[in-house]
Amino acid sequence: MSKITVAGVRQNVQALLDYSLNEKKRNFLETVELQIGLKNYDPQRDKRFSGTVKLPQVPRPGMTVCILGDQHDIDRAKHHGIDAMSADDLKKLNKNKKLIKKLARKYDAFISSEGLLRQIPRLLGPGLSKAGKFPTPVSHGEDLAAKITEVKSTIKFQLKKVLCMGVAVGNVGMTEDQLIGNIMLSINYLVSLLKKGWQNVGSLTIKASMSPPKRLY
Amino acid sequence: MGKRKVGALEKVEADLPNLQHKIRRDPVSYKDDFASQYHQYESHREIFMRAPGSATDAGLISLRELIDFVAHVADCYPEITKSFPEDLMNLITLHHTDLEPELREKIVGSLVLLRKKDVIDSSALLQTLFPLLTTTPSKSLRALLFQKILSDLRSSNAKTKNHRLNRTIQTVLFNLVVSDRTSSKGLWAVKLTRELWKRQIWTDSKTVEIMKEASLSDNEKVILGGVRFFLGGDKEREELAEEESDDEPDIDMGKLRHQAGINKKTRKQSKSLEKAAATVKRRERKKNQPHPLNFSALHLLHDPQGFAETLFQKHLQNTKSKLNLEQKLLVLQLVSRLVGLHRLTVISLYSYFLKYLTPRQPSVTSFLASLAQSTHSLVPPDVLEPLIQKIANEFVSEAAAAEVASAGLNAIREICVRQPLAMNETLLQDLVMYKSSKDKGVMMAAKGLLSLYREVGADLLRKKDRGKAATMELKLGERKQRRFGEEDIGGIEGLELLEAYKEEERKRKREAKGLPADAGADGEGNGDGDEEEEEDEDEDDWGAWNIEDEEDSDDSGGWINVESDGEIDISDSDSDRETKPSAAKKAKLDKKANPAARDVDVDGAAAEEEEENADAEAEAEAARQRVLNLATTRILTPADLAKLQELRTQASVSKLLPETQRRLHAAAKIQAAAAASHNRHVDDPLTAAEIEGLAMLSHKQDKESRDAAVKAAKGERNEHKSSAALRKEKLRSQGKSTTNKEKARKKNFLMTLGKARFKQKRSLVETQKVLKGHVERSKRGGRRGNNG
Repeated sequence: MSKITVAGVRQNVQALLDYSLNEKKRNFLETVELQIGLKNYDPQRDKRFSGTVKLPQVPRPGMTVCILGDQHDIDRAKHHGIDAMSADDLKKLNKNKKLIKKLARKYDAFISSEGLLRQIPRLLGPGLSKAGKFPTPVSHGEDLAAKITEVKSTIKFQLKKVLCMGVAVGNVGMTEDQLIGNIMLSINYLVSLLKKGWQNVGSLTIKASMSPPKRLY
Repeated sequence: MGKRKVGALEKVEADLPNLQHKIRRDPVSYKDDFASQYHQYESHREIFMRAPGSATDAGLISLRELIDFVAHVADCYPEITKSFPEDLMNLITLHHTDLEPELREKIVGSLVLLRKKDVIDSSALLQTLFPLLTTTPSKSLRALLFQKILSDLRSSNAKTKNHRLNRTIQTVLFNLVVSDRTSSKGLWAVKLTRELWKRQIWTDSKTVEIMKEASLSDNEKVILGGVRFFLGGDKEREELAEEESDDEPDIDMGKLRHQAGINKKTRKQSKSLEKAAATVKRRERKKNQPHPLNFSALHLLHDPQGFAETLFQKHLQNTKSKLNLEQKLLVLQLVSRLVGLHRLTVISLYSYFLKYLTPRQPSVTSFLASLAQSTHSLVPPDVLEPLIQKIANEFVSEAAAAEVASAGLNAIREICVRQPLAMNETLLQDLVMYKSSKDKGVMMAAKGLLSLYREVGADLLRKKDRGKAATMELKLGERKQRRFGEEDIGGIEGLELLEAYKEEERKRKREAKGLPADAGADGEGNGDGDEEEEEDEDEDDWGAWNIEDEEDSDDSGGWINVESDGEIDISDSDSDRETKPSAAKKAKLDKKANPAARDVDVDGAAAEEEEENADAEAEAEAARQRVLNLATTRILTPADLAKLQELRTQASVSKLLPETQRRLHAAAKIQAAAAASHNRHVDDPLTAAEIEGLAMLSHKQDKESRDAAVKAAKGERNEHKSSAALRKEKLRSQGKSTTNKEKARKKNFLMTLGKARFKQKRSLVETQKVLKGHVERSKRGGRRGNNG
């Protein structure tokens, strides 16, 4: 593939949406994933990169969030209808690894009040950070709903033990333009993270949960 | 009778090499001879097996020779020698302790030979040799076996990785380490693994797992082997790779071709030229090959949290552990690197440090370095606070020696770089006061701390210490201290700069075309102009990709092939022109709509209190949106990225410099500064030397060390010479000759005498002729000038 164009991305997105919405509609909201293959990348010399970026649209609206908070935040969480746990609830877990793991698996992200957050490593041990779900802080002054959308719309690029990775950038329920916006922002951010820019990018593919992959680059 | 037998044997022995030679040529016709020899070998072996202790010298010698002979030709008679390898293996496994050393070596050598001839496979060979390696008491045999095993593994992985073999051997090694944790046998596993890791033959996580088990063993030597591997194995590997690539001398093809053109043309010369060209080509191909995937050992660990915890509990917290201080320090280094790198939570580690943080503690700087290394942004600040307090109390005081104080300050800075929240206001202000210390090391360390907090937490500093930039930003509320657990959400750094730059460019272009400059700027330009603009930009885009192409085509390795570009260009650009403006327009509409929606939100929330404030917010939002637009509607081309990088460094440097110096700074300097700031990476370890820092400076040196330092600074320049002489020497060493001027100057006086005399005696006419000739010559451009 020689280069990536906006028009090319648009065509692929259209095809993808057409497939998932008209041709083979599934009984659930398919997530659109961006898969990235890197090349000419020496993980030891170039070091590993990781970064988070906030997308203009929430890619996975179904994400479950849990509030670990003090009384004030728990009340706010109830007001929004979100699950919440207090410090006492966490203490009840009693540092039991299995329970903590279960908790970490149950939710996609955690938000915690500032005061409580400092105790979280003590209360829960390494469980949450091991799962890559260390809570995001929220203060009493901040709007909780806004914070939740921010957490939901933030995606993380992280290179693990292989030279490829995938991130969820949207879903098929979004409009074409929204999806394109998310995809483009992710691509641009990724490329700006890489040391040699486009020279490090081997392939870019988008794919909905049940669709055939579409190669962008 | 005995005598006669020996005589007969000697005769046969003398024949063996001859027979071997003959068999090689024509195996079929010598089959009978071989069979008889093989029979003899069998009987010898049987005698030996029956009574290994009482074998005679002569018998042993003949057995050795026969084994050698059979091993060499075994591949010619696979039928006859079917049981030969197995017999050998049996022999050496059962009797390796009481075999005569030479015979033992011969058997090992024969087995390796059989492997080379593909009579037996690698795994059978290794499974015989490896148990010997760990059990034999003989040092020489161990060395031999180690070398043979290593070379066999290397050769069987030379072309492609032999995954099956590797897996079996790795399992064997793993079991060796795990089965008996107290014995030192695991050392062989460690040695072998480290060697293979170094040569990049084993690079997977299973290898790392072996080493992990080794570092959790109960034997000190094995522990240290494992720990050292994690701390230095990767560096070793890198160095080896570099060494290998440096090994081959550079070939200057241009020079060689030039020489071939000048010197006499011989076949030898042309051949060497061809060879050189082939080498260069091969090397080029090698360079373009994709990198092998070499993750560092620390990254390949399966469960770093568990590993760090057990390491810490077993070797450091455990009071019964037999490690001495030095060994403990190594383990501590590993634990702290793991914690820092993977951001693990090992809370009890920090209180462990507490008792070691006194200036009297031996190798305290290593402890300080480990502590700093184990700090990361997810460590609760309240755990670190007592540690920092203790360092400050114990190390940093007026009474303490300068090196001690600077080490303490450096350590505190390194901790705070990683977790700025661990510092409190009074302590920081106290520590910053040391910036006016008379001692240079202390002063520098304190200044380092100050500049760190100007960036990460200016509000903790006193007003006068904050500095201009930080004060301004605090006032405007641009800068907030990062909260615990907060991840900074990265945008594309400097995108707004790129946007501004593009805006500028667009304006300039429009002005050049004679259109009003700001038509498109606020999004209200007429449709025609917009579209035209977009088209322009499109073309720019393509240009940007292509520019990059031309520049980088030699090193990028198939970035874009220009030939195929043409058709893609044609086919795509039409649709691009259609879709893109519409996309842009839509985005713009969105943008217009969005702030409005936001406005409503804000109004609702604030209950129409501050109209102005809301307006300002909306404006900021609009600006942000505009920037976001750039990222969501276009793909950043390589040229864009390069520009982005440039703008970013420019901005960061110009922010640091006062107005007057800004102009003086050349681009090169900017780049250097940027490079320096990017030098350190989280993955790099922190060393004790960095904690000691500039303590060297504060130390009053004795004369000898001063002299040594001066000598080291001077480097190679051992004798004093003029710079011209040095330059000449350098040229001479490169094989370059002198200039004509120099030659003339050095010419023997007597040789120049005749010409000088002749010049004086010339007649007027002759002089005129010469001068005219000179003028003419200079007109046409010298003796070799183009006078056609």
